[in-house]
Amino acid sequence: MKSRTILFLNALLVLSVAFAFTVTANAAGKAYKIGMSLAITGPTSDAGNPYAKGTEDYFKFVNETKVLGDDTIDCTIRDDQYKTAITKRNFEEYIDDGIVMYLNYSTGSTLGLKRDFEEEKIPVLPASYHAGNLDDSNYIFLPVASYSEQLVALSEFVVKNHKGKGKAKVAMFIHPSAFGRGPVEDAKKAVAAGLNMEIVEVVEHGKDLDNSAMLKRLMSKGVQYVLCHTVQSPVATMLKDSSRLGLTASSYGEEGKLTFLGVHYTGGNDLIALAGDACKGFVWSCSFNLTSEKNDGTTKQLALAKKYGRDDKAANSHNYAAGIMVAQVTTEAIKRTKDAGLEITKENLYNTLNKMNGKNAYQPYTTIGPVTYSKTDRAGVDMLQIYSVQDGMFKKVGEPIQSEFMKKIK
Amino acid sequence: MSYFFQIVVSGIVVGSIYALAALGLVLVYKSSRVANFAHGQIIAAGAFITYFLTVTVGIPIFFSFLASMLITFFLAMSVEKIFLRRLIGEPIISVIMVTIGLGSIIDGLIYLTPFGTENYSFPAFLPQNPLTVGGVSISWTQLVGVIITFLLIGGFSWFFKKSTVGISMRAVSDDQFGAMSVGISVPKVFGLAWATAGLSAAAAGCIIGNITGLNFDTLHSFGIVVFPVVILGGLDSILGAVVAGIIMGLIQQFASGYLDGNWGLNGTGDVMPYIVLVIILLFKPHGLFGIHEIERV
Repeated sequence: MKSRTILFLNALLVLSVAFAFTVTANAAGKAYKIGMSLAITGPTSDAGNPYAKGTEDYFKFVNETKVLGDDTIDCTIRDDQYKTAITKRNFEEYIDDGIVMYLNYSTGSTLGLKRDFEEEKIPVLPASYHAGNLDDSNYIFLPVASYSEQLVALSEFVVKNHKGKGKAKVAMFIHPSAFGRGPVEDAKKAVAAGLNMEIVEVVEHGKDLDNSAMLKRLMSKGVQYVLCHTVQSPVATMLKDSSRLGLTASSYGEEGKLTFLGVHYTGGNDLIALAGDACKGFVWSCSFNLTSEKNDGTTKQLALAKKYGRDDKAANSHNYAAGIMVAQVTTEAIKRTKDAGLEITKENLYNTLNKMNGKNAYQPYTTIGPVTYSKTDRAGVDMLQIYSVQDGMFKKVGEPIQSEFMKKIK
Repeated sequence: MSYFFQIVVSGIVVGSIYALAALGLVLVYKSSRVANFAHGQIIAAGAFITYFLTVTVGIPIFFSFLASMLITFFLAMSVEKIFLRRLIGEPIISVIMVTIGLGSIIDGLIYLTPFGTENYSFPAFLPQNPLTVGGVSISWTQLVGVIITFLLIGGFSWFFKKSTVGISMRAVSDDQFGAMSVGISVPKVFGLAWATAGLSAAAAGCIIGNITGLNFDTLHSFGIVVFPVVILGGLDSILGAVVAGIIMGLIQQFASGYLDGNWGLNGTGDVMPYIVLVIILLFKPHGLFGIHEIERV
């Protein structure tokens, strides 16, 4: 009898311990694996570095504040040095690890891995807003409006605000790569579709120490606006040269001078750091809130950066905001999938993203408009805010805009 | 007409800076017959050291500039002593591979600092208004850059032609074993060659950084951008680097000014220097001022 009691008590103990472990395991929740590969070092790491910090910080915040209850996001971030071969290796290892969503970076690697994304049927959010990413692809979701849309919207801004007689004469100053060339064709299509401007020249820049010849040539052809689609450093050198030569417009659209405008990666605080006073009046399109224009979103962004000990430079970077934004979209997709009682899989996340529209559109605090995705619309934030450099910082110009001609030429 | 002269002035300015950036490559090649693939990283390091001393430490920029040249002088000398000295007498390709590895190590070290990924610019220390004569404009940054370039190049030319150490370096370049047999310390000469190359690289880094802003990728790419200048000049000729630099600068600016945007051409400013390089090398395979060596066997 006594031995039976001891046996019963032992069994009870074992069951209790097993139950305790089960409860602990359930309390720990599930960990959803996300992979991210980007240029933390190497070319363009001035953008990639704060971008990675934004993503890292937001996922930490999600886990610490239990945004997903007891479930957590396990995001591995790896440096690919802007080399597609390394990106591919990182992506393949992430797939082997069982990721449910992938965050990519460059235009080159996004285009290069497009087929892999299709084969793996995994939703991907890149930092490249190249419209070509979406061609023959179902799984790539651009976080914001494509470069094409931005360049066309900027062109429309030029036409609407053109000062002077006749058509606005425009030159494009672009990066010598697929990233730079991509949107030019769309801008040309917009002109063909009736946008009242003339693209006088498309300049692919090199590692120029002096742009005098190019700038004077553009002036001799009557160019009044230079639309830039590249990174900050060449724009800064050109702005300094233009300022030295006395060619920069003192106010927007001043006749006989050059007014400079640029798409997403041309602007931001880094441009001001590189060009100094020469970037005064530079007009920039961006879909993110900037900390130079305080609002609820930027307060949250700065608080996040402070919480995780980021310096002022990272905290105030629009690339930090962009990194947070992709983490926000990922988290929201997981949350909505969970709330729908579905398992967190690549397929279910893909479906959730495609339903992110209409009343289900998602408004992250980092962007100037809502993120909308569907099977036919895979550019997240469609709105663009025009900013211009005033008193050494980017300030808003008017209300957010959206390209009208892009709809016509699509 | 001012358009033409602006292009000439811009070409000379750009060419002079190319020449200064190429000088370090020439100095190392002249003494050791090695192409230094870590040169771009030393250019960047020199610029960042100047920025650090000026902005973080608070030293006036002129003294920071001199201090940075001094630091890269000893830094390059140490690099030679630690990594390259033991390769004396080994095949040249081994030494070149070490310089490629060295470039990766310096890359990695710079990426550990904020300078690897962030953009900076030197505080303004020269008048912001450009000098303009007859519609031709040049910024003070460019003008000071050209003056420093010619001072350094003149100094190095004198050093190699007139000083005992300079002549020793030329002797080592011609024949290492022959130089050793007359009592010249080859290791010391190599160390000095690297050190002077480091010094000139820092100067180039500061000037380029002042024009383009301080971005690591932009700065270190100039180590490669100026290779055609070195090859066209004849690899081991300081005068060749100057002449080739200015030729390259002029071709670049003229192509950009007169060809780009016409007849559907674009980006010729980057391509034309290479086309001209190939054409010149077809007729002068050793470059404009390179030594045509005849080996009797």
